Order: sequence, then C-alpha cells, then structure tokens
Amino acid sequence: MSSSERAQPTSDADILRAIARGDEAALAALYDRYSAILLGLLLRILHDRPEAEDVLQEVFLQVWRRARDFDEARGRGFTWLVTLARSRAIDRLRSIDARTRAAAAAQREVREEAADATDDVLHSEQRAVVQAALARLPEEQRRALWLAYYDGLTQSEIAARLNQPLGTIKTRMRSGLIKLRELLREQMQSARLML
Amino acid sequence: MLAAAALDALDANDGDTLAAHLAACPECRGELDKLRAAAALLAYDAAPIEPSPDTRARLLAQLKTTPQTPRTGGAANEPASNGAPAIVPAAAAASSAQNVLPFAPTAARRGLFGARPLVAYGALAASVAVAALAVTAAVLWSQNRQLHRELTRVAQNLHETQQTLVAVRAERDLFAAPDSHTAELAGTDAAAHAHARLIYDADTGRAILVAAGLPAPPPGKAYQLWFIADGKPLPGDVFTTDAAGRAELREQIPAAGRHAQIFAVTLEPQTGASAPTGQMYLKGTT
Repeated sequence: MSSSERAQPTSDADILRAIARGDEAALAALYDRYSAILLGLLLRILHDRPEAEDVLQEVFLQVWRRARDFDEARGRGFTWLVTLARSRAIDRLRSIDARTRAAAAAQREVREEAADATDDVLHSEQRAVVQAALARLPEEQRRALWLAYYDGLTQSEIAARLNQPLGTIKTRMRSGLIKLRELLREQMQSARLML
Repeated sequence: MLAAAALDALDANDGDTLAAHLAACPECRGELDKLRAAAALLAYDAAPIEPSPDTRARLLAQLKTTPQTPRTGGAANEPASNGAPAIVPAAAAASSAQNVLPFAPTAARRGLFGARPLVAYGALAASVAVAALAVTAAVLWSQNRQLHRELTRVAQNLHETQQTLVAVRAERDLFAAPDSHTAELAGTDAAAHAHARLIYDADTGRAILVAAGLPAPPPGKAYQLWFIADGKPLPGDVFTTDAAGRAELREQIPAAGRHAQIFAVTLEPQTGASAPTGQMYLKGTT
C-alpha cells in the first residue's frame, strides 16, 4: 500500500458516531486507541490496579451507553472521554469505604511500569508536549491543578491544604487552565498531534 | 467557579447554584466547555499503562447485553456521576411542572347544582396527594443528599491521610529493601550549594531523588537525572524546582541503569534529552 493510499486515522468524533449507531468494532477501536492513557490516569487517581481496571471497564461501558450524548460542536471526543473517565474515578475515590482502602493500601505496592513507547510514538509525543507546557506553569497554579485533578480534592480542601484563601485557589485554578490552553493553543489546533 | 467545575473540584454546595446559572447563560456553558478541554490536557501527564487483556475481553463481552440510551436532552457532554450533583438544565424542570394538575377547575365544569362535579373533585384530591408526596419526597431527598455529603467528606479526609501514609511507606520501604542503595550528589561549580540524595532499590528500580539548593531553571529548560553505567549515561526523568530551590523526583530506573555507580543532574531542554547536552549541576556516586 503506497503512502498516498494509506487512510487518514479516523477521528474520535467519527468513532463516537459509529459507537452511537451500535458499532461494537468502533468501541473496540476507541478502547485500543485510549485505554492505556486512561488507565494511566485512573491509576494516578486511584493508586490501585484492580480498581483502576474496573473503572476503565465502567468508563467504556458508559461510553457505549451514552455515545449519543457526545456533541461534536461542544468539544473534542477525547475531552468528553477523559472528562467521563476522571469523573468516574473521582466518584469511586470518594465513595470507597475508607477503612477498606487503608487496609488494602498498606499491603499493596503500586508500580508504574511505563508502556512500551515504541508502539505509540504519537502518544509519547503528545505527552512530552503537554509535560513541557505544564512545567512552564507557575508552581502554585500547577500545584492547585494537581491537587484537584489527581488527588480529587475540592477547592475548599485545596485551600485548607495549602493554607490559602478560597478566592486565591479559585484564581490559581482558573489562571492555570487558561495558561495551559494558551501554551498549547497551537498544538490543540494541529491535526498532527490531535490534542 | 467554572474552573472548579471543569476540574470536578466544586464544593458540595456549589453544584446547584452553578447548574441554575448555566441553564440561563450560554456564554458560561461555552466557557465551561473550553475549560474542560484544557483540564483534559492534564490527563496526558500520567504515564500510559497497558491494561490486562482480560479487561478488554470482559468489556466487549458485555456490550451485547448493554443497552444504548437515546440522547438525554440538554445534558450533553456533562458526564453523569453518582456522587457529584448532576447539572440539569432548567428547561427539564420547567416541562415537568406542566404535568401538575391545575388546582381550580374551569367554570365550564360546574355541574347542574352549581357545585363542582365529582370528576373535578377527584382531580383536586389527586393533585393535593401528588403535591404532598412531592413535598415528602423532596424532604427525604434533601436529607439523603446531606448524609451523602457528610459521608463524602469523611471519606475524603481519610483518603488524604492514606495518601500521606502511602507516600511515607514508599520511602521507608525503599530504605528497607534488601538491595537498597543511597548516593549523595554534590553541587558542581555551577551550583556550589546544591546537594541531592538518591535512594533506590536496585531490584525494582524504584527511586527517589531529593535535591536542594538548585537555581530555578530558565524558561524552556529543566533538570534531568542521568545514570552512568559503564561510562554511558542513561537518561532519567526531567524535573524542576519549587520556589525554595528544592525538588523531589519519583523515578523508575530502567533495568540497564540499576547498577549504575555514578549519577548526575544536568540542565536540558524541558522535554528532556537522550544524551546529556547541558551544564552539569550535581554529581555523585554510591
């Protein structure tokens, strides 16, 4: 197959539309495309491999059920998917019986083993670009975003943790997201990176 | 408040206020979508990890018995989550209000004796009963929400404690591991007052680097850790310093680097380098 015949990668929106029509192969395709990124995210939030894989399944079942809700006019497929995944993770985090969690965490050591990077040059490139932008955020904004995004804290909890007024935390979160968007504006519009 | 919503970091009480506002404000809905897109970028920081093949198989097997729901009007792109308040547009609430029976029958319904016909009385009684039930349901629902919030708060507090515990245990375990090593790194001329300590488990590769006294890297640059084995530097992760010149890096050393005897930190481009190109700031041995 010559390079001119090779098809452009199917967009996330196309895949989601196919899923909405009941196409199981499309769901499998979306899973194959994003399950590693999502599992990485879920593990960072839940710190528990079996739990994270469980939520991963839940997320894709939710995608299957609610694919018709995705509205391309309002944002990217990946944004919808990641927002859904994170929401489920935070719910799970906040609802788990605390005592069970403490006992389990004490016995388990979580290892983060990097996925085979050579398989997925695009994703490692995306990750490098985003990490570079993140490193350029002022430390206090990055900290606030982290505590919210990966530790699942609410804004009041972040304010308490950092010993700052609530208003300051709200500003930091907002400025951080806006700055991130600015830093990655070009890449977010580029078809090549599909950010 | 929109940034917090985009990050799912709203406090329990804010959800309803925000939902009410969003129902009436298309600009804010648009802004929230943009902020969610920015928040989604944060997901890229996590290292991708291949799930077990089991998970894929189990997922696909369940599809046949999982129904797809038709589009839920107005709530598009808002992930329905069980704990946080669902953002329901006011339009949905308004349309359900139209189903409540009118309290007073119209004049045309008056019966022969000038009294209201039985049918109208029945409708009246039914609407009163419905209203009473609705009030009871609302009270119970509100109490339930409150209890749920309490529970969530307690769980969150405990979660924070556990997080700290897990981190402290990880460090302690590193010290206790049978094949554990420590390397002290000293500052070079570029940063005479810098100092770092690397603790690692040569068995698993888990490592922690704690550094102090490093100058803040200029924009576009970051520090990078190197493991030098057989004279060949192997790249580690990049990191930056906090306002006080301190840095902490949790690292997973690749197999080839676990028996390195020399370690160094250089200043590299932010995205990291595959071979050291920049000024060296710290160097040390086990």
